[in-house]
Amino acid sequence: MQHGYSIGRALHCFQVASVASVLVMSSSSATFAVEPMPPADQRFEADDVNDTPEFRRHVLPLLGRLGCNGRSCHGSFQGQGGFRLSLFGYDFDADHAALTTGSEPRVDVEHPDDSLVFYKPTHGDEHGGGQRMEIDSWQARLIRNWIRSGAQGTEDEACQLTSLDVTPPTIQFSATGQQRSLRVLARWSDGSVEDVTPLCRYQTNDESLVEVDADGVVTSKDRGDTHIVAFYDHAVSVAQVLTPVSDQVGEKYPDIETPTRIDELIVAKLRRLGIVPAPLCTDTEFLRRISLDMTGTLPTPQEVKAFVAGTLPDKRLRKIDELLERPTYTARWATKLCEITGNSPRHFEDNAPPAEYARNWYEWIARRVRENVPYDKLVAGIVLGRSRESSESYEDYVTQESAYYRTDSPDDFTARETMPYYWAKRTSRMPEERALNFSYAFLGVRIECAQCHKHPFDRWTQDDFRHFTAFFEPIGYGVPLDDRKTYQAMLDELGDRGNQSQRVRARLERAQRGEIVPWLEVFLAPPGTRIEKGREAKASDSVAPRVLGGKDIDQDASGDPRQALVDWMRQKDNPWFARVFINRVWKEYFGVGIIDPPDDMNQANPPGNAPLLDYLAEQFVDHGFDMKWLHREIVSSRAYQRSLEANETNRLDEQNFSRAVARRLPAEILFDAIQQATAESRELPRLVVDVSNRAIGPQGGAFLGRRNHNDYASTVFGRSSRDANCDCSASTDPNLLQAIFMKNDREVVEALERQSGWLNEVRGALKRASRQNSVVDHEALVRTAFLRTLSRQPTESEFDRSTQHLKRAGDTMEGLHDLLWALLNTREFLTNH
Amino acid sequence: MTTHRYCDGIRRRDALRVGALGATGLSLADYLLLQEAGAADPTRVGSTARSAVFINLAGGPSHIDSLDPKPEAPVEYRGEFSAINTSVPGMELCEHLPKLAQCADKFALVRGVSHTLTEHQMGTKYLNTGNRPIPSLEFPGYGSVVSRELPSPPDLPPFVAIPKTPQVAGVLGVEYAPLNTQATPRAGQPFTVRGIALGRGLTIETIERRHGLLNDLEASFQSYEENSDLLRGLDRFSQRAHDILSSARSSQAFDISREPDSIARRFPDTPVAQSCLLATRLVEAGVRFVSVDHGGWDTHDHIFPQMKDELLPELDTALTGLLTTLDEKGLLDTTTVFVTGEFGRTPRISRDRAGRDHYPRAMCVLMAGGGIRGGQVIGASDARAEAPASGDGFSPDDVAASFYHSLGINATKEFHTPTGRPVSFVRYGNVIDELFS
Repeated sequence: MQHGYSIGRALHCFQVASVASVLVMSSSSATFAVEPMPPADQRFEADDVNDTPEFRRHVLPLLGRLGCNGRSCHGSFQGQGGFRLSLFGYDFDADHAALTTGSEPRVDVEHPDDSLVFYKPTHGDEHGGGQRMEIDSWQARLIRNWIRSGAQGTEDEACQLTSLDVTPPTIQFSATGQQRSLRVLARWSDGSVEDVTPLCRYQTNDESLVEVDADGVVTSKDRGDTHIVAFYDHAVSVAQVLTPVSDQVGEKYPDIETPTRIDELIVAKLRRLGIVPAPLCTDTEFLRRISLDMTGTLPTPQEVKAFVAGTLPDKRLRKIDELLERPTYTARWATKLCEITGNSPRHFEDNAPPAEYARNWYEWIARRVRENVPYDKLVAGIVLGRSRESSESYEDYVTQESAYYRTDSPDDFTARETMPYYWAKRTSRMPEERALNFSYAFLGVRIECAQCHKHPFDRWTQDDFRHFTAFFEPIGYGVPLDDRKTYQAMLDELGDRGNQSQRVRARLERAQRGEIVPWLEVFLAPPGTRIEKGREAKASDSVAPRVLGGKDIDQDASGDPRQALVDWMRQKDNPWFARVFINRVWKEYFGVGIIDPPDDMNQANPPGNAPLLDYLAEQFVDHGFDMKWLHREIVSSRAYQRSLEANETNRLDEQNFSRAVARRLPAEILFDAIQQATAESRELPRLVVDVSNRAIGPQGGAFLGRRNHNDYASTVFGRSSRDANCDCSASTDPNLLQAIFMKNDREVVEALERQSGWLNEVRGALKRASRQNSVVDHEALVRTAFLRTLSRQPTESEFDRSTQHLKRAGDTMEGLHDLLWALLNTREFLTNH
Repeated sequence: MTTHRYCDGIRRRDALRVGALGATGLSLADYLLLQEAGAADPTRVGSTARSAVFINLAGGPSHIDSLDPKPEAPVEYRGEFSAINTSVPGMELCEHLPKLAQCADKFALVRGVSHTLTEHQMGTKYLNTGNRPIPSLEFPGYGSVVSRELPSPPDLPPFVAIPKTPQVAGVLGVEYAPLNTQATPRAGQPFTVRGIALGRGLTIETIERRHGLLNDLEASFQSYEENSDLLRGLDRFSQRAHDILSSARSSQAFDISREPDSIARRFPDTPVAQSCLLATRLVEAGVRFVSVDHGGWDTHDHIFPQMKDELLPELDTALTGLLTTLDEKGLLDTTTVFVTGEFGRTPRISRDRAGRDHYPRAMCVLMAGGGIRGGQVIGASDARAEAPASGDGFSPDDVAASFYHSLGINATKEFHTPTGRPVSFVRYGNVIDELFS
């Protein structure tokens, strides 16, 4: 699906536009120094208009607006009816050539009305795409006048679009049915300003709430808020549109406590929407919610009782601080970072010991989460990963690498300054794959669209993609040219047999016994070369590395272009690096990101609450990328601690953080919760601190602590495969097989009935009691069952229903088994809320 | 609010839930309702099949020693086996497939199927999805697509894999993941499928008793349901799971010991034969897609004894039993049977190991039922089974498009990946029309 034509000069346009564009929604435009040129619909209104339009500024945008360069029309890679335009109209020269040259030019300067580009869209019966414009319309006159004047291409190549301003940036309606026109001004580098309102393409991000017509007239359809997106040239700009949900706006809005800055910013928006937030949740709700979100672990029954009984006014804040120091916090968030960076063992098959590499990857991150190493530093350690320093020889490297895998007092892998395995991933050996992987993981930018065509919702073009990819060309995984002989000699000496993975296994076992064995390594190709198919090759047609939306980077003295990437990401004004992480963390706590999905930051997907994200980004950077600060800041807010209880104004709100929203537990957390709820009492305190066998920990999906039992459950519950460039590879959607699993799968049955389980413990107690003629307190059993699963006491009616069930069951054990089973299957157990 | 759409206005999959402050899009609960109502997809094309059985010959069977014999080729190619005639004039099979030879009118062979992926995992993905694998997205397996496209009875899982399958739901999402039985049935014994069979003394009474308790304990959370699509969805799935567990139909479908002896005795006590027997029962009950795993075909060394003594006889009996039984029960017309490995094997025998290695350039696929005309061979490999006899032969994509066609699924229909990228079920294949003529 290669484009068959050059992207050439058109790309300059893009560069300038990209510098000027802003990710964060820009506020209102500056004062007009220049009177804008009137819009095209006015200029070409009169029948006898003589005016001449320009190709780039008028003709091509008009074709885009008429839908000509869409994916199902002439923008498809095959074209349509022998005529092809660049998808979404970014390649001005190629599109001009497609119109004016070739065996069947679409433009006939001698006979403008016979030109196909004029005739076809005005005659629906002879055009596969139907009629696109009236023959007696400003659109038709614009195109005809362009042809008449000679169908010139881009006039001033140097002149670039510098910004696209949508006014008003925010439309506040007071009721549905109201309308408002947008006005869009294009500013060019020659100082000219034009009203391009009729030449933009418009899109609503939620057509059930707001409609926008082809002329930029916005109509409120329903209560709520969304954005309208305007597309023109390479630029994408948005306007926010709000229609209040209730009449409780402005003066009428109730007095809502806003103890934190986060709350101020959230309530500021709720006030405009007339949404009244839910009250504070109870202590038990808070404890269960934060324990699961922050540490992936249910609170123990004792912990619940103690917390509820606590009387200190700041007990919630104290609990937050306590949880942040737990090993389960480390495990939960190290696992999240492993999902994002992608430590699937499958990446290393045939090249390195898969499980061991994945495990060390986890441990390296876990240590930094535990020590609260700043996020930027942690990421730098991954991005700048290389297997050895330039002062070290290959022999030094293999000696060190072997020592990490020694069984007897191994060297500490986590003490390494960098973690190079990130660059050894199977799915990111090619520079292009690395670019995709990197921008997904650390920037939350989906640049893959631009591998083949202009990004439909952002400014990225193929040229940006190529320049960004250049950062990753010198990174190799294999054996550098100079060391191949040594490597081969070592392999020959070992003389291991079998297929690749067997030989990898054999080498690992040797290393475990203390031998020094050869390893592949992550290395940087010398300047002037790049890696192709794992080998150094001359870099002849290389392009300069360029960060997204920035300038070309000069190679720094270290010869490592990745340093420039890291420096760029750490800058306070980097629009993505801090934000994507904040957003991902936020989403884990609220179920929805401030930008959602968090890994799709593009100009057409603006934050629902930009001031909130700006605040957090600024503070996170100012706090030195302190991850614990971020967690504490988020969960200390009133917004996080709201009840699930909805009122008339917020019951449909899931994206403005006005109430708690139920979320299905992520796969690993659910597996652990089942394990925990069914474990014998003396096991409970250990499960809270020991993560070695926990699914949220280094064992990953190892359900119920047993190997080889994890794959099915992991698949069904959507555990992240850690080898796809998408946060969506971890799913918390419900499905049928999950319900079957919870009700009757042998893994759940075994968890309930296991030797070291609570039911068995009770069975023993009952037997002892009957021998001693004493009685076991059924009511206490019921209470414990609720505390173990729902982390709360039963309500009166639940208590009555459950104790009756135990009585009626005839056999107490059977009744209790039923009860624990039923509790595990409640939605209250399966979700966090 | 950030409800977000992609290239052509379609929402991301996780936006299945109701858009905030305005019920938009298809909610999960709506979706389930639609599915339960068996809402037909208007894009379905005319077809006869409504179910499919896929047999995965894992490891890559030697085409020349099974479905594409070359008795005229030099001995270092044709191998130790001779070819036999079948009930269809002109169609020859390996001598160790005598039962299949007798029912050759029931199936079609597509020979000269060709691709270039010589590694197991890649080849397997290709042949289990109809799309050449690419790193940027995981294509859904046939079973996931079929369970998404064809409505299925509420008290049965739509996609069952015996005992497992390389097919994944991939970008379609976990709703369409297979139910892996994790075990194969044994002859004459009741088969317990994980999650479905009532093992360990569990009775319907127990299930109902627990279900009653569960429903009562759900009461406290009930009030939140109207504001949460997730909670409604969880409830619907829970009810459906309960239907399956308490349904006589599903437990009986999995219980092969209920099969009359006249049928059961066709299936010897091998894993693949018993799996095929189970597949017929599941299809009969209404399961949409059953996949059966038959491994061991990776015969790099000593191919002939393995093929002659185990692999071919096992497949011969199991597949013949499957086709005959489906036919007898009147299910063959409405069930597409699709048998393939990930590639064929090198036509030239490696002398030192007496085996054959991976060879994707000229493989053979067996298809039956679902409107496919049996008793025909479509396409051919060349004299030594080294390449398609003419041109590029057929691609796995073509075979996949034909498979979907037999089920009335338009292979060019697009779905959207979670990142919003539009992708067809089969990106490059064309339906092999001869199969249906």
